Amino acid sequence: MSDSLQQHESSEESMEPGLEFLAPKFESEAFPWTQIMGYVFSLVLTFAALLLVINHAMAPTLLLAVIIVLALGQAGLQLGVFMHLRESRGPAWQLLPLALAFFIAFGLIGVSYWIMLFKTGVS
Amino acid sequence: MPSFVPYLIHTLFPPDTRQPTELGADFMILVSGAGIFFYLQHFKKWKWLWTEWLTTVDHKKIAVLYLVSAVAMLFRGGVDALMLRTNLALPNIQPIGAVEYNEVFTTHGTIMIFFMAMPFIFALFNAVVPLMIGSRDVAFPRLNAVSFWLFAFGALLLNISFVIGGSPNAGWTGYPPLTEIAFNPGPGESYYFMSLLIAGIGTTITGINFLVTIIRMRAPGMTLMRMPMFIWTTLCTAALIIFAFPPLTVALGLSLLDRTFGSSFFTLAHGGMPMMYVNLFWLFGHPEVYIVVLPAFGVFSEVVSTFSGKRLFGYTAMALSTVAIMFLAYGTWVHHFFTMGAGPSVNAFFGLSTMLIAIPTGIKIFNWIFTMWGGRIRMTVAMLYQLAFIPTFVIGGATGIMLAVIPADYQFHNSYFLVAHFHNVLIGGTLFGLMSGLYYWWPKMFGYKLNERQGTWAFWCFAIGFWVTFTPQYLLGLEGMTRRMYTYPLGFGWHELNVISTIGAFIMGAGFLILVYNIYYSLRFQDKDLTGDPWDGRTLEWALPSPVPEYNFARIPVVNDLDAFWVMKQQGVTLASSLRAEDVRELELPRNSGMPFILGLGFFIGGFGMVFEWWPIAIFGGLIVVGSLVFSAFDYNDRKHMPAEVIRQTEAGLGRLQA
Repeated sequence: MSDSLQQHESSEESMEPGLEFLAPKFESEAFPWTQIMGYVFSLVLTFAALLLVINHAMAPTLLLAVIIVLALGQAGLQLGVFMHLRESRGPAWQLLPLALAFFIAFGLIGVSYWIMLFKTGVS
Repeated sequence: MPSFVPYLIHTLFPPDTRQPTELGADFMILVSGAGIFFYLQHFKKWKWLWTEWLTTVDHKKIAVLYLVSAVAMLFRGGVDALMLRTNLALPNIQPIGAVEYNEVFTTHGTIMIFFMAMPFIFALFNAVVPLMIGSRDVAFPRLNAVSFWLFAFGALLLNISFVIGGSPNAGWTGYPPLTEIAFNPGPGESYYFMSLLIAGIGTTITGINFLVTIIRMRAPGMTLMRMPMFIWTTLCTAALIIFAFPPLTVALGLSLLDRTFGSSFFTLAHGGMPMMYVNLFWLFGHPEVYIVVLPAFGVFSEVVSTFSGKRLFGYTAMALSTVAIMFLAYGTWVHHFFTMGAGPSVNAFFGLSTMLIAIPTGIKIFNWIFTMWGGRIRMTVAMLYQLAFIPTFVIGGATGIMLAVIPADYQFHNSYFLVAHFHNVLIGGTLFGLMSGLYYWWPKMFGYKLNERQGTWAFWCFAIGFWVTFTPQYLLGLEGMTRRMYTYPLGFGWHELNVISTIGAFIMGAGFLILVYNIYYSLRFQDKDLTGDPWDGRTLEWALPSPVPEYNFARIPVVNDLDAFWVMKQQGVTLASSLRAEDVRELELPRNSGMPFILGLGFFIGGFGMVFEWWPIAIFGGLIVVGSLVFSAFDYNDRKHMPAEVIRQTEAGLGRLQA
């Protein structure tokens, strides 16, 4: 761990002045503890949601709220731990398409909700 | 005889699959399988098959694999179409009855979209995208092979359904409640969901792969606005795939849970919502039609520019309209189910957004015409398809606008008018585009041209057959014939039109036979193309010899302009004339791997177990999948070195190395 940190610092030092923002930021642990813990936590979140629903543990509205919170936690975990969100070669370019992805995803979900309301003047 | 044998026979070969057509198909499969086996055995080709094809990670070979599968699936889907048309031409005899008719139109749609159009498109992507952008490979070569094998085993799983266990029969869209286990017992629909899930993973990976390839691996100097138009359409297609396939995966996965594990996401009972499946399916389905048509637009842009001898007219407008189509494609999916009754405001919104797509598409049509304007047009087969495409697609688009008018859609909905419309855009747009690309890039893939004379015959069969088939179907729709009917009373005045339509379908079938003969003949008798540039091309793939060496570019070119190779030829400095021995350096190339094939096999075995709910087999397949992934994660020996001397010898042998 300390070795890899040392490497990062030295690579940043060797950058030309003014170009520090281009320094690569990569995780380089000797053993992927972060990923293993992330995997365990993602399983915990999944099975927590499943058990809550199977056992009808709460009132439906509360249940929905809780599993949505669990889902958001899951999404954050996946992005942060497995999707290299914190790593980059230079500026974090990946945030731009990610923002677009969120825009499209929530747009589609929102419009789907609107469609499935069946606010119809016909039927 | 052990007691489980009758059970196995009953499960795998229910009465449904013991009809004459199925038994005939069984026989043909056994004969051709045995033929292939003995060919490989006799000529000792097993090792060749494994090392050259099954384990390859070379994008050019993967392109050939995709192409072979796509043509085979075109045959299967085409035979399905002829069976449907025969049944409708003989409404009193009904050569295939109601049950089989349902199965055949389901597999016709599913195969043509997912297992013909998609792999055909990926064949073209793999064949030329890295060459066009001046790259040695795609971004993730092994994942590229994974994509292919997931597609191939998904396609295999769907294709064995009609001889083992029974075909899916709920239409290519697979709507509940028709797919619910209560109304549709047997493995058929499970086959449909499982095979599309497996193939869908492969497609998603392909989308990611080509998006990253185009963003990251362009040759120096190739800015976004110097990319060939086919690269633009590939980029937008890849972006569409990445966002469109997750809703499909969710819809199929939840449906499979409903069928197999008794959940109630889309069931009528227990508070499920069948229309949510329809919403999710078309959230994927509408972008999907642009996934299959945008690459065709890209092919036409390359073909029209090459064979008019002119730069593409309005390049910037073309690029922007491609991007506009990509975004608008996400906002129109409700027009597939206006009659669901979501309400006037929802329908009005989606009717308008649908009409909006006509604007960027119209820009493209005009730009193709203006590219030809004043050009020196060469009537090659690729160009003939382009010329047939423009009027065909315009009429298909115009009937699409008619369907987007919501009050009118309540009349057209689910009629033969709709059937004629989507075949008009899918054949006139996608199939003509793919054929055009096939004839255009065939010499690059295989090193010789397809015979142009035979190709012209095939073209006229496809073009005339298309209009003879589908013009009567528009009229049938207006006369009230609904889709997916297996028969009809003779007194309605539909019979004559149906007979004409069937004749057209057989003309297209003849076109397919000529195409296959054309490929066979050209393989045997066409002269080798030694120039690498048989069409006087404009983009970088024509700067390479045909077929392209494994490493593509001995030296990565520098791009100064749009139509990079054309500009090089104008200046008299091509890649071949400027390559010196000291420019060639040792290269690192991806090493072949059996992992993708084994992974696909694992998915196939697991999927088969899931379909029949034989859990030990399903778990065994799953373990193969996990095992391959774990192996691949720790396999650091995934690349090989190609010494500079080997490349120098190859290039010198092609006469492309200057002393």
